[in-house]
Amino acid sequence: MIRTNLKFSSVKGLENAILLSIVLFLFNLIFPLHDVFLLALIHEGIVFLTIYFLYNYLHQSLTNKLDAPLSLVLNIGILGALLFFILSIANSAYEADINGKISFNFFNSLLSILLIFLFIASIVYIFTSFRELFFLRQKKDPSMYFNTMLVFFSLSFFSNILLLIDPTMDYPHSAFYVVAIVLICLNSIRVAWIAFLTKKQKYYLLGLSIVLSVVFGLAFSLLIDSEIVRQMIYTFSPGLHTVFSLVMIYGTIYFGVISFITLFHLPTAEAFDRKAQEVASMMDITKLVTQVFDFKELADTITSMTTQACNSDSAWLVTNSKNGIELNSVHKIGYVDANDVSNRLLGSGDASFEQIEVVDYDSLYRDKKFAEHHFHSVAVAPLKMHGKTNGYLFTARTKGNSFDIEDRKSLQAFAYYAAVALENAMLIKESIEKERLEKELDVARDIQRKILPSAVPSTPQLAISALFVPAFEVGGDYYDFFELDDDNLGFVVADVSGKGITAAFIMAEVKGIFESLSKIVQQPSELLIKVNEVLRGNLERKNFVTAVYGIINKKSGKMNLSRAGHTPTIICREGNVERLQPAGIGLGLDFTNSFSNSLKEMEIQLKNNDIIVCYSDGITEAKNSQGEDFGYDKFEKIISDNCSKSLDEISTLVMRELSLFSKDHPQHDDITLVLFKWKQKQ
Amino acid sequence: MAEFNVNLRGVGAVSVIDVKGYLDAHTAPELENVFNRLLDQKQYQVVVNFDDLKYISSAGLGVFMAYVETMRENEGDIKFSNMKENVYNIFDLLGFPILYEFFKEENEAIKKFCDSSKF
Repeated sequence: MIRTNLKFSSVKGLENAILLSIVLFLFNLIFPLHDVFLLALIHEGIVFLTIYFLYNYLHQSLTNKLDAPLSLVLNIGILGALLFFILSIANSAYEADINGKISFNFFNSLLSILLIFLFIASIVYIFTSFRELFFLRQKKDPSMYFNTMLVFFSLSFFSNILLLIDPTMDYPHSAFYVVAIVLICLNSIRVAWIAFLTKKQKYYLLGLSIVLSVVFGLAFSLLIDSEIVRQMIYTFSPGLHTVFSLVMIYGTIYFGVISFITLFHLPTAEAFDRKAQEVASMMDITKLVTQVFDFKELADTITSMTTQACNSDSAWLVTNSKNGIELNSVHKIGYVDANDVSNRLLGSGDASFEQIEVVDYDSLYRDKKFAEHHFHSVAVAPLKMHGKTNGYLFTARTKGNSFDIEDRKSLQAFAYYAAVALENAMLIKESIEKERLEKELDVARDIQRKILPSAVPSTPQLAISALFVPAFEVGGDYYDFFELDDDNLGFVVADVSGKGITAAFIMAEVKGIFESLSKIVQQPSELLIKVNEVLRGNLERKNFVTAVYGIINKKSGKMNLSRAGHTPTIICREGNVERLQPAGIGLGLDFTNSFSNSLKEMEIQLKNNDIIVCYSDGITEAKNSQGEDFGYDKFEKIISDNCSKSLDEISTLVMRELSLFSKDHPQHDDITLVLFKWKQKQ
Repeated sequence: MAEFNVNLRGVGAVSVIDVKGYLDAHTAPELENVFNRLLDQKQYQVVVNFDDLKYISSAGLGVFMAYVETMRENEGDIKFSNMKENVYNIFDLLGFPILYEFFKEENEAIKKFCDSSKF
């Protein structure tokens, strides 16, 4: 009837429990006495189900309280005390009644039913809490033991009914009851969670559990001894009385066991606390190492944690640097003191500690006594990574014992983390630097691309071909053509010393100088002298520029050529090659008269099909895997062998030979190849 | 990475730098360090022995240019000796022989220093 409407899902635990409580309440109002077997059975069933649903509901709501076992214990304690209080009040209140008999008037029965509900709620809460504590911190699944106990609790609950049939049939109940108590004893031993409490919590638990054991014991004795209480509950439901007494026994035994075990845990509590703290700080630092890339910040955390974990007074961290050791972080010690101690320990950087070592502080300061910061002992651990010591982690105690093996272990662990952090910091610095360099190279390539001419000013008389292959690092090659007037074409091929962005900027500067001077100065040698003058003061001392500058008259085929330290210009006439190497020092090498005095100019009358080759040393100094140069001979041979071919074909051939020659060797300098071919007007 | 080694030794008042391997943009700072050390010690008479040098790039040449002026201002110089032909050609192309003194043997260079300091 009513039961069929019940939803047997634990989700609805509370609703079901409330529903059943109402049913129970009505049932008791209708049948205040249930001596008849059937009525008693139904009543017991309802009580049992109420307990069952309440248990299921509480079990779920308590699972998220597991992190704080002590608050659970405290709740149990409050409820236990409440029960004890009510029981003793009830006891004395009813004892005041001279009759000692319970009269079943309406008010009394209402009160007793309310009390019963309170009892049910309390014992179910207490029992559920016991269950949660039982399962707390258990590695293996112990549910079998607990469930067996539950079965015997239920059997004891229902076996009371038998007494109604035959009052002599009390042995099954007694047997189940005894077995339940034995199981309670066994299950009470599972108190692993105590070990994980802190020292303070253990003291707290010890006091609480002794009190609670007594409270539960007294409550139990009241329950059994006080005829009135017994009558009140037993008359209502014998099973409830059984469960009530079992829970009280559970409480007495459980808290008795807890107080004993806590007592035994007290001596190791401190050590356990320290270990737990160590584990916690290790976890913190692991997190930091992977999240924080600022080494200084990490070093500060490491030193402060070291003092905690090693139970020491000061800690500091030094790293090896170019000029000896560098103090990175100090904790509870001054920079000067830390530096002093480190220097004394490490000497001038020659002494090294391969593994963790503890040093007697007094032995360090035999010569003079320091009143301040007089340490008792100092421990030092190397920061090792890939077998290389990058620094040291120090920790010191002002008094007490020297560092024991446990302290050393934690110091070692922190030193290891510091080493990892240091390595990380360095790697990140390197990668940032690398990224910066790559960005710089991009900028340099961009500059170079914009500086070089996009087209060659070929004419029917003068065929021109220009080839430029940049190196990864940007070499600083530059070539350009200047239409001086209708007849004269100026050209320059230059190479800036160095690489990268510096070379690219100098190249831009040089382009500007050539472009403006070529309009004014019509003599190659004079122009190079002027360029050198302009460069004076605009060039760092270690930088220089080699260049070849020439002017070709497109009418007459006369070529004037000057060279400032650049690779010789090659002329190929009828299959014979010749190097044109007028004397001249590189631009920026010298700003005295030596430059202008040594600079010579050549004048050449071009003949039909003459080929002029200007290039950078990226060609002649290209290397193969043996480190040999490509050289002039190979280069000149390619030109002389192919002088009848078109200029583009020649440059393609040169590049092909070059890449074959240096196929296992990366191109390390820019390659520039500018070719001219003179066609005589027929 | 091409290898480079630099060694500094003193012959009387003259400092001799032995360079070995490949001197380029990447290895030039090593040589710069040696020159900086010489400036710190106020050693201005320097001979660079190129006996074991296989290759020199423009950045390598730049090192000598960066320091020669200071050396000369302090009555010293940088002189070159024992240069292989391929290395000398690079110097020659740039016109270094006009600006620097080259010697076949290290001794000659040292002797030149000693002779000039007598006067």
